[in-house]
Amino acid sequence: MRSAEFLDCHVLVIGSGGAGVRAAIEASGYGETILVSKTIAGKGGCTTMAEGGYNAVLREQDSCEVHFEDTMKGGAYLNDPALVRLLVDEAPERMGDLLRWGAVFDVTDCCEVAQRPFGGQRFPRTCYAGDRTGHEMMLTLMDRLAATGTEVLQEVTIVHLFKDENTVAGALGIDRNGELLAIRADSTVLATGGGTRIYDISTNSSSGTGDGYALGFRAGAELVDMEQVQFHPTGAVYPYDARGRLVTEAVRGEGGILKNALNERFMIKYDPERMELSTRDVVARSIATEIMEGRGTPHGGVYLDVTHLPRSQIESRLPVMLEQFLKFGVDIRDDPMEVAPTAHHIMGGLRISTEGQTTVPGLYACGEVAGGVHGANRLGGNALADTQVFGKRAGESAGKAKKRVKRIHREEIEAQEKRLSVFYGGEVLPTTVARSLQIAMWEGAGIFRTAKDLEKTEGVINHLSSLSLKATGKSNPAECCIVQNMLTTASLVVRGALLRKESRGAHVRRDVTQAWDAQGSPYGHTCQSLQGSNIKTGVKV
Amino acid sequence: MKDLTVRVYRFDPSEDEVSHYQTYQVQVNEGARVLHVLHAIHDEHDPTLSYRYCCGSGQCGSCAVRVNGEPVLACMEEARDGMTIEPLDLPVQKDLVIDMEPYLAAISSLVPKEDFTMPTPEVVEAIKPLRSCIECLACVSACPALKVISFAGPTAMREDLRLALDPRDSEDRVTEAVKSGLFTCTSCQACWKVCPKDIQIPGKAIEKLRALANKKGLTLPRHQEVSKLVKETGRSVTRTEPTFLEQVGEVLEPYGPVKATVGFFVGCMYNQRLPQTALDAMEVLRRNGIRVIIPKEQVCCGSPLIRTGQIDFLDTLKKRNIDAFVFRNIDTVLTMCAGCGSTLKNDYKTPFRVMDINEVLTRYGIEPPARLPLKATYHDPCHLMRGQGIRDLPRELITQVVDLVEMPAICCGSGGGVRSGIPEEAAALAEKRREEIEKTGADIVVSSCPFCEFHIMEHTDRPVKNITTLLLEGYREKDRKKAEKAG
Ligand SMILES: Cc1cc2nc3c(=O)[nH]c(=O)nc-3n(C[C@H](O)[C@H](O)[C@H](O)COP(=O)(O)OP(=O)(O)OC[C@H]3O[C@@H](n4cnc5c(N)ncnc54)[C@H](O)[C@@H]3O)c2cc1C
Ligand code: SF4
Ligand code: SF4
Ligand code: FES
Repeated sequence: MRSAEFLDCHVLVIGSGGAGVRAAIEASGYGETILVSKTIAGKGGCTTMAEGGYNAVLREQDSCEVHFEDTMKGGAYLNDPALVRLLVDEAPERMGDLLRWGAVFDVTDCCEVAQRPFGGQRFPRTCYAGDRTGHEMMLTLMDRLAATGTEVLQEVTIVHLFKDENTVAGALGIDRNGELLAIRADSTVLATGGGTRIYDISTNSSSGTGDGYALGFRAGAELVDMEQVQFHPTGAVYPYDARGRLVTEAVRGEGGILKNALNERFMIKYDPERMELSTRDVVARSIATEIMEGRGTPHGGVYLDVTHLPRSQIESRLPVMLEQFLKFGVDIRDDPMEVAPTAHHIMGGLRISTEGQTTVPGLYACGEVAGGVHGANRLGGNALADTQVFGKRAGESAGKAKKRVKRIHREEIEAQEKRLSVFYGGEVLPTTVARSLQIAMWEGAGIFRTAKDLEKTEGVINHLSSLSLKATGKSNPAECCIVQNMLTTASLVVRGALLRKESRGAHVRRDVTQAWDAQGSPYGHTCQSLQGSNIKTGVKV
Repeated sequence: MKDLTVRVYRFDPSEDEVSHYQTYQVQVNEGARVLHVLHAIHDEHDPTLSYRYCCGSGQCGSCAVRVNGEPVLACMEEARDGMTIEPLDLPVQKDLVIDMEPYLAAISSLVPKEDFTMPTPEVVEAIKPLRSCIECLACVSACPALKVISFAGPTAMREDLRLALDPRDSEDRVTEAVKSGLFTCTSCQACWKVCPKDIQIPGKAIEKLRALANKKGLTLPRHQEVSKLVKETGRSVTRTEPTFLEQVGEVLEPYGPVKATVGFFVGCMYNQRLPQTALDAMEVLRRNGIRVIIPKEQVCCGSPLIRTGQIDFLDTLKKRNIDAFVFRNIDTVLTMCAGCGSTLKNDYKTPFRVMDINEVLTRYGIEPPARLPLKATYHDPCHLMRGQGIRDLPRELITQVVDLVEMPAICCGSGGGVRSGIPEEAAALAEKRREEIEKTGADIVVSSCPFCEFHIMEHTDRPVKNITTLLLEGYREKDRKKAEKAG
């Protein structure tokens, strides 16, 4: 390993998903901006995979107030109201940006952006581009980014945030060839996305390893509500290697119905009013219960059926689903899909202000890595809006931050070089550790939780963290760092879950009986940082 | 679980002088994809193996590789025993990782106009199929044109058309496309056939852009000449000898009992330039019980105009051709030119069925010819293999006469107006064919398209023959032997 190459910029953005690229577009207006992505820019992360849509209030009959209420209610009132307010107020403007920059959303006959119903919302306010909405957004944002002066570093994995006193001063990256890059920045924006790859069954792309939570945590930032992990009700169950792959909520939005192996439309038992379009936590638990109680399909799921819909509707509104299932031997126009819950989204994350500032000076966060916007359960379509609203806000405040004399300390680089070189003498392959972690998390920190299982999982995480990870090739040290990040993220989730002794939103504690509903809960955020962890009490919503 | 043996391309430029292939035995789950085989190699055999992936569900376009030569998405393609996994045919960075950046950079970005106009539902519907591109570069890897001439590539053309249609874009994308090589595309359809999103770039983007270029007066002068010729003579090439239609009657009766009756669409090349080949084909048909009706008023199918974006005269041609066969109550029209066949099948709406001669001969069965002591290689015409999905039938016929040595199916460079418009590119592609032909050690080259035959003939020292000519030679040999015996 050669010694690190140095780069300087005003704003460093880490991550090329919807949030990161939106932040870079904004920041580049204020000074030299570098965007780093561990994948090819625009191809990584979960934004490109988002199928369903983007929530925004665009019609007279709808209102931001209703969107606010839906979001708070969906989030079991754990959301930060100030962040939610911005989300609903600014989502339409940010949609406007996308349209101006060329996004090709579906439109109505009156040339308005078309909207469809999504779970937990009282108005059909989910804008979409077929079932490749996120991909359309990414193409548009990458187009726009190309028109700014942003320098893009492809396939560089950030493994450490530098600190100068108590301020973040940039980051250390490793490129594809194992070379080190030390990037000095006045402001650093974390936009690394989510981390449900810590689970055995997950919708996330391979980059959803929770790097940002771990990087932020180690840099001293406070994280909130990390126990709040959304299990999407409908993930694929077959073939085995494709398990967890998302079957978009748009399938139910378009009219898809859920049935168990006895051909019963079981949602009537759990939420007779909203049925299949109930919130994700409710639908996921209902499906999990059906499967647990023995009414599952041969592959261990339930049926999701669209065969009653016109074939043309399936072809034009759900082309990606149609194509994916066809590849795996199922024609969804003729046969039902088999689905089961899958780890989808981490609602918790770095605590941010309305300007996207974390609790550490110099460090900003936006998108899925940030917490507080979605509370205890995210509504479908709110995350894409989140990436744009808070991507812009974080990029703007990072850009407006003062230029300063940036210092990266020699010792800090040396310590990191040492950390990386140790891997070459390690013993256990990172993939082996990741596999064990994913299974332990699925078993002990999944949809239904108890203190006993959580503690057992914590034990596994501690053991895995004590193993020395092994690198052989040049690309392997980054893989080792990523597995360390997975372990840190997992322990944040488990610790949060132990702290929250109530069932709230996506977090269900089977070993706790509680006398309150979400609005009457005595608890607020769980907070974790290097200083310690606690749960806020006595807050009233 | 199942066991697979796979061969993987390995190359680390910092350590290796040349690439090599490594064979691995891996265990994977039922239904595993190519990507899961790579994971298994990386996790259990060799952590230094480099390959790209991210979404694992066909949405990000990171993972395209070649499996047994064909570009596919590793995360979607089912893993098969014995497969060879190679990088795309683009500059390799390491193992299966190629340099995507220059090709991604060649795709244009929208430059917003001052005033915003929302696209109409019709525009959105037109643009949407073009936008489903995940920029995986499978098409770029497969495109023969950009290997021999400067061309931004199929997916860049796709986005150029999208921008040309989008009311929000402020630039002249048609002129831009022409500058980035719009006319270098040979219409070979390779890009479409490998595209995981089934984007029909040649038909739905390149020909559309060429039609827009035509409106701007940017059609190549040589292509304009072709169009003029079609309008004046009904034919896209000039004649060099008495034409096929002048040499035959309206109906050709078979020698034996009638197995089927077809109408014959000859096409410009066989009619004007290679009439003898068409006459050979008639002989083979008669010998095999096919009654052939030949309307004399038929004209050019219009393919040379469609491919070059000159479509104003098209409907006249279509009507004349369709009427000619309908008038004679013909329910099956036979083509032997791959280009005409593909055009009649894909660009026409015909009230009759269209069949290529390879389909007709194999459908009704042929009298076995004598074997000739020759080794042949077969050149797949693009408009037969990709345009009409006919790959195995010609081989069934050829192997009845001679031994066949395969070569990779790559465009010869004669299509899409390239032979007339950009002859140096057409020659460069044919030169590549010559090299492949040489490698096979074959004595003769067989094909089933007049454009390919004519073009390859100019670039190889081996005889180039149409399938039906080869069959006829087999029959002549058979007759000769019979006569010899009798005598
Ligand atoms: C399958 C799927 C479907 C979804 N559908 C919808 C939907 O329809 N509507 C909706 O609102 N939400 C949806 N979501 C959620 C939503 O897509 C995500 O929450 C959102 O896109 C996250 O955006 P992001 O920019 O924060 O992160 P991402 O888009 O995940 O991007 C993260 C980026 O960070 C980079 N990165 C990560 N770690 C590092 C590192 N260490 N160094 C350098 N770079 C790094 C990655 O390469 C990537 O570029 C869906 C999620 C999934 C998984
Ligand atoms: S049709 Fe053939 S030559 Fe034309 S762009 Fe596609 S691959 Fe290239
Ligand atoms: S057009 Fe198809 S093959 Fe080409 S880059 Fe796009 S998705 Fe890939
Ligand atoms: S990994 Fe994304 S398309 Fe294959």
